[in-house]
Amino acid sequence: MLCLLRILFQSCRPAKPRGFKGSSVTAGVNTAKLRPLCAALVERLQTAGYALCEPPILQSAAIFFDSGEDIRSRLYITSDQSGADYCLRPEYTIPVCQHYLKRAEPGSPAAYSYCGPVFRFREDGPSEFLQAGIENFGRADREAADAEILGLALETVAAIAPAKLVLRIGDAAIFRALINALDVSPQWRRKIIRGYAAEKNLDAIFAVGGNGAAQDHAGVLTALEGVDPQNARALVEDLLAIAGISTVGGRSVGEIAERFLEQASLKSGPEFPATTRKLIEEFLAIEADPDKASAQMRALARSAGVDLSAVLDRFDARLGFMAARGLDIGTFTFAARFVRNLDYYTGFVFEAHEQSARDKPVIGGGRYDGLLQSLGAKTEIPAVGASIWVERLLTQGKAEQTR
Amino acid sequence: MTTPLVIAVPSKGRLQENAAAFFARAGFTLIQGRGARDYRGRIAELDGVEIAFVSAAEIVGLLASGAAHMGVTGEDLLRESIPDADSKVAILAPLGFGHANVVVAVPQAWIDVKTMADLEDVASAFRARRGTRMRVATKYVNLTRRFFAAKHVTDYRIVESMGATEGAPAAGAAELIVDITTTGATLAANGLKVLDDGVILRSEANLVAALGAAWDAATRETARALLSRIAAEETARTTREVVAVLPSAPPDFFGKADSLFSARRRRQSIDGLIVLSCPKDKTAALADWLVAQGAKDVTVSALDYVFAANNPLYDKLAARLS
Repeated sequence: MLCLLRILFQSCRPAKPRGFKGSSVTAGVNTAKLRPLCAALVERLQTAGYALCEPPILQSAAIFFDSGEDIRSRLYITSDQSGADYCLRPEYTIPVCQHYLKRAEPGSPAAYSYCGPVFRFREDGPSEFLQAGIENFGRADREAADAEILGLALETVAAIAPAKLVLRIGDAAIFRALINALDVSPQWRRKIIRGYAAEKNLDAIFAVGGNGAAQDHAGVLTALEGVDPQNARALVEDLLAIAGISTVGGRSVGEIAERFLEQASLKSGPEFPATTRKLIEEFLAIEADPDKASAQMRALARSAGVDLSAVLDRFDARLGFMAARGLDIGTFTFAARFVRNLDYYTGFVFEAHEQSARDKPVIGGGRYDGLLQSLGAKTEIPAVGASIWVERLLTQGKAEQTR
Repeated sequence: MTTPLVIAVPSKGRLQENAAAFFARAGFTLIQGRGARDYRGRIAELDGVEIAFVSAAEIVGLLASGAAHMGVTGEDLLRESIPDADSKVAILAPLGFGHANVVVAVPQAWIDVKTMADLEDVASAFRARRGTRMRVATKYVNLTRRFFAAKHVTDYRIVESMGATEGAPAAGAAELIVDITTTGATLAANGLKVLDDGVILRSEANLVAALGAAWDAATRETARALLSRIAAEETARTTREVVAVLPSAPPDFFGKADSLFSARRRRQSIDGLIVLSCPKDKTAALADWLVAQGAKDVTVSALDYVFAANNPLYDKLAARLS
């Protein structure tokens, strides 16, 4: 492992690139082929102004424990003599963010590149694999930065391992803006966004009955209809006292009362309007080349009387920056329902797949403006990045290095 | 010497007593080498068996690695500790003890939370409000992750707990727990309640075979003998032999006996003697019916063993090993 890293560092210095061919790949040969690939990637990214950042392989595990149990269950964990938990670097974005927060003036523009091994338990492949990538922080001209990240990732891969890739783009900000523009209660908005993030289908999202409290506490909910929070709290306190339940555990009586009120308003309010649901369904069905999709979204918003002009103007501005960079946006596919991980990405998202194998992305990325603040920054800092699965460049049929 | 059939059984407590009682019922005596401190033993009545007395957690490890051929353990531990357990072990028979459920339990004061859907809602609101995830104390890390993922609950963080998990919410170490419970009394005493759809697993002690163990001809034969006797005792314990003389049996006599009383023909001789086997709880009704069919008297007897040519327990194992 360390050996590989040392080799990696040495070969990261500008060196005469060596050619390689994609045939007869054995385990040993594979590493030998990946080395120059990594070096070439990093060289290009650095030349583009993305300073090489190489965070330690051994990372304090706490921050990844906070990233959700799905990531946590894939970590390779160890501990030191004091019992503190460490893990092998499972990905680069969080460590690069931490590097930025430590070294740079928070909010100032900075751009980093990386290439090295990451360690995540995977059932369908080796748990140690190479990931290259770029992160761009602090740029207020978000749409230009989005286009730069996408362009640089595509150009770099095209130069090093040319292959025809299909590119799929989406925009989580448009979806959020649509939901926020709808004339429905905040509870419904939360429910829709969360249900969508959990990849539930719309039927499951809109089923109020699926929620136990709505059925089992019909009496309480009816009593709470139209009650103000203070009285609701008193009512819940009475309920608990009558049942002889002592309050235990992290939620306050106020929180419990507040949720009862929410449930009451969901229950007593009118059913989710069919026209609004149809609007969401029509929006999520939009899939076309980006210019056409933009026109479709504008038409849909206009006919529904919702104002999405701010996010759609930004969407169009981003397309302009992409075209100016020479990207052939007519070949891209925009899908309104493509938002990658709604919990994490806040705006533009993209994935590049091999035309033949559509399942695994070769490049993936997007905008995550909330992450730096959750890692300790005082304010929101714009952030956008992309990662490249280096091994997948090798398996691309015609992987051949060209300059 | 041929390699023995290794059976891992619990080394202490009620589980050990129950496991010993299970083998004793089939006429097997577990002998612990040189007294209670020896962790290797044998079965007095069957050669070629080595009993490993180990802790409950170790039993699962031995089964997963194939170091033991069989073991007595709860399904909860199998499913928690062995990824894709069904490909590594075969559950041969439930043993009727060690009943317990792995459940999701939340504070009773959360009167607005009854289902996992409620929990999902509350967990996301909790995170939105505080910026931290709701903590779940448990030793069943993998079962919890799988179950919560299936129920779309993502805004939580596991706090590993190795004992007295039910006290974690009161101690402020977690908001809710996933733990094993038999009656729910301990949960209630700690101000917790089980969610309506929060039962992750209904577990009991099982006789389990390790598919990855070294199964040669000798160990298979020993396993066959062991399982055949266990099955024979179980059949004997749950059925009765019913004997009657019916000079002229009505048409479709055995068909009716089967459909009415699940009674099966064991023997019938030309002089009208009929021998049936019948589930224990249906023997009285069967006897009445036989008298009504013309039998003068009906005798019912309990048997020690009922060995049969087909051996469902061993067949289950053999099918998985092939």
